[in-house]
Amino acid sequence: MKIHVYAKLKDYFQPEFELLETIGNTDELRAVLVKMNGGADELLSSCRFAVEEGFIDKDFKLKAHDTVVIIPPSSGG
Amino acid sequence: MTQSSSYPPAAEASSAQAPVQTASPAPHTASSVPEPDPAAPAFISAEPLDIVGLLAGAHHPGAGAVVLFSGEVRNSNKGLAVNFLEYDAYIPLAIKLINEIVEEARRKWQLHIAVAQHRIGKVAVGDTAVVVITASAHRSEAYAANRYIIDRIKHEAPIWKCEHYADGSQQWGNNCNCHTVTGDISKHIYETQ
Repeated sequence: MKIHVYAKLKDYFQPEFELLETIGNTDELRAVLVKMNGGADELLSSCRFAVEEGFIDKDFKLKAHDTVVIIPPSSGG
Repeated sequence: MTQSSSYPPAAEASSAQAPVQTASPAPHTASSVPEPDPAAPAFISAEPLDIVGLLAGAHHPGAGAVVLFSGEVRNSNKGLAVNFLEYDAYIPLAIKLINEIVEEARRKWQLHIAVAQHRIGKVAVGDTAVVVITASAHRSEAYAANRYIIDRIKHEAPIWKCEHYADGSQQWGNNCNCHTVTGDISKHIYETQ
């Protein structure tokens, strides 16, 4: 599973990386990421997730070949 | 279907025109800037936004009012001197969402022209980071629609700014904290009112 992160998440993770674990949903993904870097826990709890340019919810079943984008709260403008 | 989007799919193509459509990939961003769609009202650019050129193209015989909002980089924030801002964006989704927001406003306020453009990359103090232009028959609609578009872009578009201060430090902005009130990271304050 490929992971892309943006903005402040780049302080904790590489902008793009790959996870080989079996991850079924966003809750599991969040747990894996917190295990990788516990400092990102609070930020990750306010992030949304997207696959194929659409937001996904926690019931979305992630697949091994998915590219998941992790989206912190917006601060554009 | 568990994949979700906050907004309904975009309706028919907008009649809005975005006259300035130049962009080049930004080496400091995760995603390259895609080729702009001339028919789409939203545009994200690594190059300076030409608000004069945009305004020049934002006239319509049915519009008695044209409103232009330019969001510009301030030289200070919360008591700290700001040298410049740097914007990051998840470009495909940002363009998709901004197009949907603009299209919704165009239909709601019967706009003749609606355009929104946002910078990515390094933006200097005094430069435009985001521009929204709305044109309608009367000023009240153009003002209301313009405010609606910029407010939703700031809350919802996956675009982030990093403030670079004169003392060498930097900080990512965290403008939208609606989830602390709504209790749902996918819901903004105005969606529960």
